[in-house]
Amino acid sequence: MAWELATFPSDLLPSQLEVEGADVQVVRPGEPVRVTHVLDAVEPRIRPDGRAAFPTKGKAGEGRTNRLDGVVVLSCLDFAEEERPLHEQESIVDLAGPGAEFTPFGDETCVVLTFRPGEAGNEDAEAAARKTTLRVAEELARPTLDAEPAEVETFELGAGDENLPRVGALIQLSDLGPLYHLYVYGTPAGQAGLPRIVDPAELLDGAVTSGEYHWAAMRNPTIFFQRNTLVRSLYAEHGKRLRFADVVLMRGYEQSADDKQRAAEAAAARAQELGADGVVITTDAGGNSHTDVMLTCRACERAGIRTTVILAEETDPESTRPILTDWVPEADSIVSTGNLEEQVEEWKPERVLGGDTLLDGTAAASAGPIPVRNYLGAANQMGQLTLGARTE
Amino acid sequence: MKAVHYLNQFFAGLGGEDKAETPPVRLDGAVGPGRGLAAELEDVDIVATIACGDDYFAEHEDEALATLLAYLEEDPPDVLVAGPAFGSGRYGYACGTLVAAAAERGIASVAAMHPENPGVDAAGKAYVVPTAVNVAGMRDVLPRLARVASALAAGRELGTPDQGGYLPRGFRRNYFAEKTGAERAIDLLLAKLGGETRTEVGGGLDRVEPPAAVPDLSQALVALVTEAGCVPQGNPDRLPAVRAQGWFRYDLTGEETLSAARYESVHGGFDVTLANEDPNRLVPLDTARELEREGRIGRLHEAFYTTTGNGTPVVTSTRFGREIAGELREAGVGAVLLSGT
Repeated sequence: MAWELATFPSDLLPSQLEVEGADVQVVRPGEPVRVTHVLDAVEPRIRPDGRAAFPTKGKAGEGRTNRLDGVVVLSCLDFAEEERPLHEQESIVDLAGPGAEFTPFGDETCVVLTFRPGEAGNEDAEAAARKTTLRVAEELARPTLDAEPAEVETFELGAGDENLPRVGALIQLSDLGPLYHLYVYGTPAGQAGLPRIVDPAELLDGAVTSGEYHWAAMRNPTIFFQRNTLVRSLYAEHGKRLRFADVVLMRGYEQSADDKQRAAEAAAARAQELGADGVVITTDAGGNSHTDVMLTCRACERAGIRTTVILAEETDPESTRPILTDWVPEADSIVSTGNLEEQVEEWKPERVLGGDTLLDGTAAASAGPIPVRNYLGAANQMGQLTLGARTE
Repeated sequence: MKAVHYLNQFFAGLGGEDKAETPPVRLDGAVGPGRGLAAELEDVDIVATIACGDDYFAEHEDEALATLLAYLEEDPPDVLVAGPAFGSGRYGYACGTLVAAAAERGIASVAAMHPENPGVDAAGKAYVVPTAVNVAGMRDVLPRLARVASALAAGRELGTPDQGGYLPRGFRRNYFAEKTGAERAIDLLLAKLGGETRTEVGGGLDRVEPPAAVPDLSQALVALVTEAGCVPQGNPDRLPAVRAQGWFRYDLTGEETLSAARYESVHGGFDVTLANEDPNRLVPLDTARELEREGRIGRLHEAFYTTTGNGTPVVTSTRFGREIAGELREAGVGAVLLSGT
C-alpha cells in the first residue's frame, strides 16, 4: 500500500507555543545559538486521518502524513546531577559556527524545549520529556490540516526489474536498558520482537523514536528515522540500480555472546526471507553494539548475502593504531561516518539554550574546542550525513 | 633555514657495499644527491650531511640512532631530510627509523623511498615522499622532496597526502564527503555485488599471540587483572566510567571474596546490575582463593589491577598493559587471569 508524505512550508509554524514543564524558544536559521543537553530532534508531523503521528499501535507508513518543512523540535534536559546516567552524555547542537557543519539543523527553524528535571528520577523525567516532545511535534504540524501542501511524495515499491540486485537495509536499534534504548511503536527495542521485517515507509513514518542517550555523535535521533537518507536513497534507486527489499530492524547490545550470535543469525535469516542479494547494515551507538554488527555481517555473508557496514570510528587523532572496536574478515566493505575523537574548532555563541554549563563543568558559551563525540548525530551510523574519515 | 640530510655510505660517497659497516659520520654541507636537493630547496640550506653504513645501522641500531640524534641535537635543524632510499630495504629502514625518532623529538622530518619499502612503516609520524623503485627516479623525486622539506622547514601546512605529495601516515582524519554515508554505502554494496569490493576503513585488529603455557601453575604467583571497572564501593579513586586515563591497584590481603557490600563496577559500557550483585563474576577472587587453597595455583598476588575498558583508544590501553605488566613482572607474577567485559 502506498504512503504519501505531504510537505508544508515552515511559515505555518504556530507563533505562540506553551509547553507545561518546559521553556520554549524558537531559533531562526543561522542565529548564533548553541543548544546543550539535547535529548532528541523531531520533525513536526501529523496525520489528517486522526491517527497518531508516532503510533504505539496500528501500522505506520500507510495513508497520508503531513510534515512541516524546515522545522525541528529539539528537546533538552539536564538530568539531576546525582542521578546522571553512567555515560557522559553531553549532546550539543550548534546552529552556527564550525559546529553547525556537524549537525543538520543550522538551516532550520528550531523549536527548543528545555525541560526541568523536577523531583522525579531520571527515568521519569526522561519519559515525560520524550512523550511531551513527540506530542509538541504533532501539535506544531496541526495548522497543515487546513492548508495546501507544497509537495506530495508517494512511497511505494513496484516489482522492479528482475535483473536488478535485491538490496535490503538491516537497521540496528540500541537497547541497553532505560535511557539507552530506541522505541519501535513505543516499545523498547529489546522487547519489540526484533529482528523483524518492516515496510520501509513505517520507518519514515514515526514507527521508530529515540530514547537513547549514549555518545551524542553516534545517536540516531528520531528525525534521522523520519528523514532517513538510507531508506530514501534505496527508494530512489528502486528500479534503477537495484530493487529495494524492505527493512529489517534488529537490536544492538544483545547482552551475552550466545544472544549476540543468535540475534545475528536471526537477522541474516530475515534478510534471506527478503530474498536479498545484499544488505546495508547500520549501527547504533558504540562499543559492544559494534560486535553485534560484525556478527550480523558475518552471518549474512555466510548465508550468501553481501554486506556493506556503516560505522563510526573512535581513534586518537595522533595515533595510527587500529581503529575499530571489533572486526571480522567478512567486513570487507565499510563506510566510515567519521572519527569521534577529533576536535571541532572553538566558537563563541551569542546565546546558549538547554543549559549554560556543560557536563564537564565548563561554560557552554565559552567552551574551548569540543570533540565531534559531543555533537548530536554528527557521526551517526545510519549514514544520514556526509561526515567521513580517511587515512592521511 | 637549515636542513640536515641523511644518506647511507654509498650516496655519501664513502664507498659501496664493502663500506656498509661504516659507523655514523657528520660531513659539512651537501653531499651527493644533497647537491641536487639543495638546488631545489626554497630558502633552506643543507648545513650538514649525516651518514651511516646500512649494515652498521641494521646491526647496531641503538648506537647508530643515538649518535645520529646527537648530531641533530648539537645544532637542531628546521628540517631533517633522509634519502631518497628508493627500493633499498636496509637504507629505507634506516631513513624511516631516523625520521621517526627525530619527529618524536619535535624535529620536522621527511624521508623519501618507494611506497613498498619497509622503511615506510618505520617512519611513524614523519612524512615519506614516494619514489620510484630505483635510482632512475632521482631526478623526478628531488623537486617533490624539496617542496615538502621546504614547507616543513617553514612550518607551512602540507594538507592531505594527495595535496602535499606524501604517503598517508595512517592518521584517520575527518572530512565532509560529497555524498552521505548512506549513499556511499549503497555505492559500495552495488560495487561489491558487481565483483569490486572496496572499503573506507581497512579492517584488522591488534592480534595478540597466545603466550606459552605456564609450565607449572601450582608454583606460579597469579594476579587478577580486569578492565571491568571493578573498584571498592564508592569508587574512592574516581575511576571514570569511560575513557579512563589510568588504572588502579587494590590490595586483596585478607580478602576471601569480592562482596557486593564492598565492591562495585563503575563501567559505563554494559548494564552492571547483575555484575554488582556479585563482583566475583568480574574479578573471580572467590574461585581464585579456592584454587589457592587446593594448591592448584601457587599463590594469589596481593593486589588486583583494574581499569575501565570503555571508549579507550588502543594506544592508551597499550600503555596501561605495559605499565601493569611491568609491575607484575617486578613482583614475580608468572600468570594473570585477565577478565574482560
